[in-house]
Amino acid sequence: MKYFLLLLTLLLPLWTKGETATSVASQFDTANQLYAQSKFVDAAAAYRQIITNGTVSPALFFNLGNAHFKAGQLGQAIAAYRQAEELAPRDPDVRANVQFARNRVQGPRLSLSLWRQKLGTLSAQEWVTLSTVAVWITFGLLGARIIKPSLRLPLRPWTLVSIIGTLLIITGAKLATSQSASTQTAIVITTDVTVRTSPFEESPSAFTAHDGAELRILDRKNDWLQVTDGSRNFGWIKRTAVEVSERS
Amino acid sequence: MERQLWQIKINRPQRSVLTLRAGALLLGYLLLSIVTATAVTFTASLDRETLSLGESARLSLTFDGAQPDGTPTPPPVPGLQFSYNGPSREYRMVNGQSFTRITHNFTVTPRQTGDFTIPAMSVTYDNQQLSTQPLQVKVLKPGAPSPEAVANGSQSVFLRLQLPKTNLYLGEVITGEYQLYIREGVGAGQFQFTGTPAEGITIGKMSELQRRRVQLGNFVYTVIPVAVALTPVKTGPLSVGPVTANIVVEFPSNNRRREGFDPFGMFGSVDRRQLSLVTEEHSIQCAPVPTEGQPADFTGAVGNFTMAVSVGPTNVATGDPITVRVEINGRGGLDGLTLAPQAAWENFKTYPPTTRIETSDPLGLQGTKIFEQIVSPENADIRELPPLSFSFFDPETKTFRTLTHPATQLTVRHGGSVVVPTIAAGNKPASDAPAQQLDIVPIKPHLGKISLPTTSQGFSRTFIALNVAPMVAFLGVIIWRKRSDALANNPRLRRQRQVDATLRVGLEKLRDLAAQNKSDEFFAELIHLLQAKLGAQLDLPASAITEAVIDEKLRPRGIPDSTLAELHELFQTTNLARYAPIKSSQALAAIIPKLESALHKLDEVKA
Repeated sequence: MKYFLLLLTLLLPLWTKGETATSVASQFDTANQLYAQSKFVDAAAAYRQIITNGTVSPALFFNLGNAHFKAGQLGQAIAAYRQAEELAPRDPDVRANVQFARNRVQGPRLSLSLWRQKLGTLSAQEWVTLSTVAVWITFGLLGARIIKPSLRLPLRPWTLVSIIGTLLIITGAKLATSQSASTQTAIVITTDVTVRTSPFEESPSAFTAHDGAELRILDRKNDWLQVTDGSRNFGWIKRTAVEVSERS
Repeated sequence: MERQLWQIKINRPQRSVLTLRAGALLLGYLLLSIVTATAVTFTASLDRETLSLGESARLSLTFDGAQPDGTPTPPPVPGLQFSYNGPSREYRMVNGQSFTRITHNFTVTPRQTGDFTIPAMSVTYDNQQLSTQPLQVKVLKPGAPSPEAVANGSQSVFLRLQLPKTNLYLGEVITGEYQLYIREGVGAGQFQFTGTPAEGITIGKMSELQRRRVQLGNFVYTVIPVAVALTPVKTGPLSVGPVTANIVVEFPSNNRRREGFDPFGMFGSVDRRQLSLVTEEHSIQCAPVPTEGQPADFTGAVGNFTMAVSVGPTNVATGDPITVRVEINGRGGLDGLTLAPQAAWENFKTYPPTTRIETSDPLGLQGTKIFEQIVSPENADIRELPPLSFSFFDPETKTFRTLTHPATQLTVRHGGSVVVPTIAAGNKPASDAPAQQLDIVPIKPHLGKISLPTTSQGFSRTFIALNVAPMVAFLGVIIWRKRSDALANNPRLRRQRQVDATLRVGLEKLRDLAAQNKSDEFFAELIHLLQAKLGAQLDLPASAITEAVIDEKLRPRGIPDSTLAELHELFQTTNLARYAPIKSSQALAAIIPKLESALHKLDEVKA
């Protein structure tokens, strides 16, 4: 009896976990049905409820983005797609939809410099993984040269290339991670919002950002964010008009 | 003599009269100076009192004798526009008197024809009220040059407006042409339209066309044509023009004074004048689009168009979006083009289309208007998207035309089923252009792998551990290599290690042989181990080791006598055993500790 109770205690969390997974899948199906019925706003709320409850998956954010897109909420769609992209950076569906949504954005939006674009071809996590692989390959080559001196000459060019490549990849990983950690993006989630020259309602307009515009955050003051589109447009935008993403 | 004159004595009464006269003269002079200094006037003048619409006159407001602060402003006159050009100042000294004049200059531009009065203007200066007199301006209707004047070459520069037709339909777009004629030998520049009146006509974009040369009468002209888009916006009699413009023209100078310096006209002296150009007024008759034979889906499109439609995806579930892309290509008012609601699409939920225009000419009349409309089937019984039609009125043939795209076959399933995204196929072959995504990829049916939200993507501990591991392994390899190299370069050490290994194996073998009571093999192995150990210690071949070596080589090295005695005993026991083998296992086993003790003590011997 004592052993039975112990076994039950050990298995209970697993059973509860299975129960929760079934429940989340059921909620997900319900949200999908709302979407199929063209109740996009309700579907978006249902997807978001699952996320609020602590479940996160690329498919969940992807479907949330689709629901927002179909509901005409371009900014919130892009924000959701970006979160899906963060979890599944290689997912072609996510990439296609985020690009499709971005193409619908009017007016000023974030323009990245060429090196930032190149850096963004891999996610920060991918850069880190790649740098680890590169380090292993490099030290593997160095070790092989020491273990078997006859390989020293044939492996010399490969070792040189590997060392240089590893240094570059580690630099890229460092830049990607620091950029990912330091850069925040504001995604406009209202139809049109006036970006002002200073953080006051009475300030003159600097430019107008439209729904879905992605802007880089430079500073914060009270309920205002200082943003730029990466070119010549700078200004302050109300915090309530945007959704803040941690990624660039 | 002069001295004498100065020395003429004047008696007292004469002196008084002279003094009074001089004082009066001085007082008069001072009064005159004061009166002269305070004689301030304020006048207004026009450089011309009659001008044509499109021309301008100069209004001068002049203060003589004072420089009041501020600028007088002409009162507003309906039909006239005043623009301030700045002041000009003048200072003069005449007979010892200073003269000051300041003139404020304005440009007067009429906006309509008629007689105008610029009212009197008043200013207060130094407690004086200064007023100007009213000014009259007559603005005449501009007139185009007569055909005779054009033909005989008396018009060096003139402007024309040509229209391809004057009977239009409402919404029809035509291309008019302004033609600026400049006679050969006349320089011209700074052309600027000053008025483009049009009654019921919208004037659109302009674009300069290819210049050409024509002969009118006996003169050759350069023609600069400018195309302009014109669109009637109401029916009935309409008009365009007279269009007015200004241009600066340079004529060869007729100044005869130059002959003394430039008798051959080599220095090309010119007179520069600003001319006002006026076109004739054109009357246009605009008729409404006929109602007879008007298609039900006609939304007012006038022009000549073609239509291309693509639909995708065609394999969907109910509620899934289908993008209908309609491209209306042709010539006409693209801005106002709209698609009529498609009555046959009642089984589809439709959303307002998005539009964009891609023009292919500078006037924006030729091009393509692209509509992208999202529709979604509401039930699974739908088998096709019904035909789509677009109607327009062709003003050239004066008929209505309807373009129809046939029904598109659809596969519609009940909602919730998985849909493979399909890219819409256009009318063009797929090889002509890369496939274009027309809509978002549909939702995913499965939740997929549940992820944990990442809080940090920096160089985590796992990353550091994964990267430190190969470095540690690499250091291990380096140490191993160093030790291997050291061993390879030290044969005594290598032999020592071999001997150690031999001893470890040999001692085990001795125990086995003792247990099996194999006396001969036991002692053979024992002497082999002793020779190996001593040979390694003394750096001698093992075969060269005999009992005599103990005293010859070991004793000089300071080995304790007890150790030497143990070694002697082992050698002697071995020799005895060759002739009188020991038959007892216990006796053999008792020799092994002695051997181990001796070997252990030999380890302390310095090599």
